Amino acid sequence: MILEAKHINKNFSTPKIHRVLDDISLTINQGELISLYGESGSGKSTLLYILSTLDSAFEGSLKIHGQETTELSPKNLADFRNEHIGFIYQFHYLLPEFSVLQNIALPAQKLGVKNKKEINADAAQLLEELDIASLAAYPTYKLSGGQQQRVAIGRALINNPTFIIADEPTGNLDEKNSDLIFNILKDITERRKNTVLMATHNRKFYENSHRAIEMINGKLRL
Amino acid sequence: MSKYPFNKTNLYIALQYLTTRKKQTILAIIGVLLGVATFIVMINFMTGVNNFLDDAVFKGNPDIVIKPISHQKTNKLPFSIGPTTIENLEEISNELEANENVRAFANQTISPAILTSNYQQLPGSVNGIFPLEEMHMVDLNKRLIAGTGFSELSQNNIIIGISLAKRLGVSVKDTVTIILPNGKSTSLFVSGIFSFGITTIDNVRTYMSAKTLQNLLGLSKNITHINVKLKDRNNLDLKSLLLQQSKEIEIEDWKENNKTIVIGNKVRDILTWSVSLALLLVAGFGIYNIQNSAVFEKRKDIAVLKTIGYSSSDIIFIFLVQALIIGVLGAFLALGLGYLISFIISITPLDTSDFIIVKTYPVNFNKAHFILGFSFGVLTTVLSGYFPSRKASKVDPVTIIRGV
Repeated sequence: MILEAKHINKNFSTPKIHRVLDDISLTINQGELISLYGESGSGKSTLLYILSTLDSAFEGSLKIHGQETTELSPKNLADFRNEHIGFIYQFHYLLPEFSVLQNIALPAQKLGVKNKKEINADAAQLLEELDIASLAAYPTYKLSGGQQQRVAIGRALINNPTFIIADEPTGNLDEKNSDLIFNILKDITERRKNTVLMATHNRKFYENSHRAIEMINGKLRL
Repeated sequence: MSKYPFNKTNLYIALQYLTTRKKQTILAIIGVLLGVATFIVMINFMTGVNNFLDDAVFKGNPDIVIKPISHQKTNKLPFSIGPTTIENLEEISNELEANENVRAFANQTISPAILTSNYQQLPGSVNGIFPLEEMHMVDLNKRLIAGTGFSELSQNNIIIGISLAKRLGVSVKDTVTIILPNGKSTSLFVSGIFSFGITTIDNVRTYMSAKTLQNLLGLSKNITHINVKLKDRNNLDLKSLLLQQSKEIEIEDWKENNKTIVIGNKVRDILTWSVSLALLLVAGFGIYNIQNSAVFEKRKDIAVLKTIGYSSSDIIFIFLVQALIIGVLGAFLALGLGYLISFIISITPLDTSDFIIVKTYPVNFNKAHFILGFSFGVLTTVLSGYFPSRKASKVDPVTIIRGV
């Protein structure tokens, strides 16, 4: 068990008090690809941002890798995210000032465990696995949407995090690229034993995940 | 894990931002460059002018002059023709010897005189000086522009102000005759010509040996003026002290005599500093604007950096170090440009006609001005870079990423 969330509640106070997350408890094990699906506004994204420690305004307990994250200071949370959590968004959010390889290397440079040579070797290895090795030196804006999303996956994997949060990772892609990205995500959980928690609208994807959880009005239907 | 925001990775990100936004970076550097360079040039030039005036007016002249009270005020009739002398000389001398603020003092016998050359007859004044005493007080030789020095004043020579010499049509080694109020006259050869750069002095003043003048006036050892140089020019306590002791004297001080110059210096100082600071402020606003729009443009990137583990202090560092690099580069280049412009001003000819002391514009190349300009420049940029950086650090990744 790498993640354990207990009795998570969250309210939005504007325009009027509204319960977005209602007593959510969830555990995730290593190597799982879990899909979260449900209507827009059901609270999927809100839950993802809480589980990824970006949003700390909630009630309840969140244990990741044995660490109670609600006890961490903002600075320690940032370090914790760097080491334990990878992010993939609907839009690639790569930094345009940096090359493909540099983008992938950024989280590892922040982690600072390996030297630059080792980090670059790791990043090159990931590019190879993601089948975009030839693009290493490209500026990211020259890449297609599918290629960019693969770079984003590389960036999420570089520190080999405890788990990866993917918020609609195929939401902005055509069918062919969507399938490609989904297959990569499934592949990394099975082959590399990474863990992925993904929000998606795509029926094909959530039905093909290891576990699919529907969210309705801020509650999980297990 | 890099615990401190000052680390290679953050520096690398900052440099990457600077180098990929070349145009804005260069513009910002030019902003600082111009601000700081102008600051340095203005301070160099303005303090140069102030120092020049100080030099011309204050350094070459006594800080206070003690002289006998004029007849009009005492209602006494002059008992002899010629200048009145200081009665209680010894008392005053003792006081001056004892006073801690007195650097040096020199006695003078000054008398009006008519000067006659082969071409002209003009009114003037003769300053009878004791050369050694006088030189100890102010370096008169600095004012000498032709002929031999003041220390060579003897029985038969005289040193004349430049304007007076021109009007008399005499130069070094010519002869002039002086006629004193008591009717005595003597011929002296011109051994030197001086210029204070102040027409009212250069037009009338001459120097000769005090002993010779006293003999001619029949005043034996009497003294008409005591010139005093102070250690602290701004402390004029001595003036009231002496006036308390003696009712027979009056005292002029440098402040009273040079009100316009003192005010001029003050006004120039205020102008220099306010304009210079305004320039730096403008440069600072430039940086602030550029950094602010950079933060706005980059808010998605900042959000991403935060999600992948860069903390608020990392973000502040990344943006602040950009401002710092811009500031240091701009200020550093400004040292060169400031020096160059100051140098060009300092070799620009200044047509002053009789103002012989300067041939070019006065510029004060003081190391402190360059250090001050550099530090002010860097400080301004860092301060104006700080607020956008702090704004950057407050970007909420959830709002930005979900907001699209």
